[in-house]
Amino acid sequence: MALRVGILGAGFAGAMHARSALGLEDVRVMAVAALPLDQAAALAKECGARVATAEQICTADDIDLVVVATPTHLHAEYATAAARAGKHVFCEKPIARTREQAEEMVRACDAAGVTLAVGHVVRYFPEYRRAKRLLDDGTLGRPAIATLVRGNFSVGSAREWYLDAAKSGGVVLDLMLHDLDTVRWWFGEPSRVYARRFTGSGGLEYALATIRYDDRPIVQIESSWAEHSGFRTGFELRGDRGMLVHDSRDASPLTVQSPAGREGPAMMATPALSESPYRSQLRDLFARIRRGERPLVDGHEGLRSLALGLAVIESADSGTVIEWKAPA
Amino acid sequence: MEGAGVSRRLRVGLLSFAHVHATALASTLRQLEQVEFTGIHDEDPARGTAAAKEHGSRWHETLDGLLEASEAVVIASTNVDHRRYTEAASAKGVHVLSEKPLATTVADGRAMIDACRRAGVQLGVAFPVRSSPAVIALKEAIAGGGLGRIRAVRATNPGQYPGAWFGDKRLAGGGAVMDHTVHAADAIRWLMSDEFARVQAELGAFIYGLDVEDCGILSCDLAGGAFASIDCSWSRPQTCPTWGGVTLHVVGDKGTVDVDVFRQALTHYDDTTGRARLVGWGDDLTARMVADFADAILAGRDVPIDGEDGLRALEVAIAAYRSSEAKQPVAITALQA
Repeated sequence: MALRVGILGAGFAGAMHARSALGLEDVRVMAVAALPLDQAAALAKECGARVATAEQICTADDIDLVVVATPTHLHAEYATAAARAGKHVFCEKPIARTREQAEEMVRACDAAGVTLAVGHVVRYFPEYRRAKRLLDDGTLGRPAIATLVRGNFSVGSAREWYLDAAKSGGVVLDLMLHDLDTVRWWFGEPSRVYARRFTGSGGLEYALATIRYDDRPIVQIESSWAEHSGFRTGFELRGDRGMLVHDSRDASPLTVQSPAGREGPAMMATPALSESPYRSQLRDLFARIRRGERPLVDGHEGLRSLALGLAVIESADSGTVIEWKAPA
Repeated sequence: MEGAGVSRRLRVGLLSFAHVHATALASTLRQLEQVEFTGIHDEDPARGTAAAKEHGSRWHETLDGLLEASEAVVIASTNVDHRRYTEAASAKGVHVLSEKPLATTVADGRAMIDACRRAGVQLGVAFPVRSSPAVIALKEAIAGGGLGRIRAVRATNPGQYPGAWFGDKRLAGGGAVMDHTVHAADAIRWLMSDEFARVQAELGAFIYGLDVEDCGILSCDLAGGAFASIDCSWSRPQTCPTWGGVTLHVVGDKGTVDVDVFRQALTHYDDTTGRARLVGWGDDLTARMVADFADAILAGRDVPIDGEDGLRALEVAIAAYRSSEAKQPVAITALQA
């Protein structure tokens, strides 16, 4: 039987997840919501789905799973509503804007017996998975120091809600959260956090965090909304037996030029793969749901990564070192 | 070479061959038109005589012999010896260009500055990054306001572990932090015309089994409100195609700039060693740095990078050690008090 999906949000993430779901067997996109509602029309048409309000999707009889790809501060409200109506929830990262919201989502989904998955899609990016394997099998030796960078142009110039820290959490909960989750996935729970950050006009924001593990490694994360030429990622991972280096700018088998110059769509740095990591993420999630298994990144795990992001913000705001204790 | 057309040559000697940069410095002293290379003295006579022979330079059995033959000396000793060599040179009225870091303690660095000031000689510090055309272009862009206000800098100066005494705290004053922090710290101070105010650091001895740190990330606040980080780690594996590098990622209100100082390099795939090596073809930064020092002395001007610059950069490294112990940020003023 097909898994019937409703999509909340028709922005970058909503469209990405809808298109990723479309390519999967036994999955049907039933409805798309957006605010204002008419912004859902094009994506709904592309998916052969109806336009509906978020409230309708969260309670519709013909929907099994709700993809929450709204602005961050609205995740909890819709995820909770969907769970109470017995629907599985796949929530874009960060799980929520605040820890309390995230805890409420986890409780609601646990109580309803539905799956709550969080879209930490980097765990499906093959370059990060390959690095994880080389860490786990000892090829790199004991990890000593790692640097992870992630940059994009000022996304707030296109999507205004990103500029409101109360809604989005800024560059730390947008970009850095990917790398904070990656670091937890690679190395486990750190012991302390120190960060600096600035916010400028025109949606500029930039943050540097140092994440220290009890013994090792030392990790530095750079997250930038001042990478004006577009999206990029990179990491350097040094163990006592070797080093891995990744730079998305050197990783594309496909280079396109046009007379328009460097003005191109974002996300072009993603290497061409037979299946995008976004589709792999949904394929894996839906398969796990069918088998009755837990998702790779469940609500508890999403909550821990959010909490680490909030600790980074707290350090940047206070200028102090924050001792880290992961939520249970 | 640099400085063509100068009417007089400065008599410059090289003090000690302990430092890995000594070979490049000796070649530079031999090549520069405005320099007469007066020879080498080394506390290790075997090493010194071999170096003198290799560079076709005169060996001076005694320190005084070299100082008497020279108007200036370049000190390429262990870090801890910078002070005693500087004090000896200044006492003889000889100008000094010291390898970095200036010293291993703030007190030693201050003593070197005071000794040279009392003797009326100049004290320069070897920060060749300031000689990079890319870094100079960035400095001009920042000063001209083209990038807007500079808000953040992420600097890296990673390298291979240099071996020898560099991992010996008594001779080096520390590990990777002592070796590599000061290049980036000086570049940041100079580029931004600002001073470091606060340093937080995470350090570790993870890779080589040393008593000193081989990994370090510094997070720093500048007095003017910007922040900067410095990766000073000896993180480059021995199989890395190059010794390391210096990079600066500079974020301004109006633009973002990436500098990779040693990016200009050929990739040499070498079957005889079974590995690839980068062969730099950019400007010789050591030659430009020494030439600028010599030109200033010859013209009676202040040297471009002086002892105070060296001390400011050293303070950042010292603050990093304090912060690592305290597990808290440390104010630079706490070192000066």
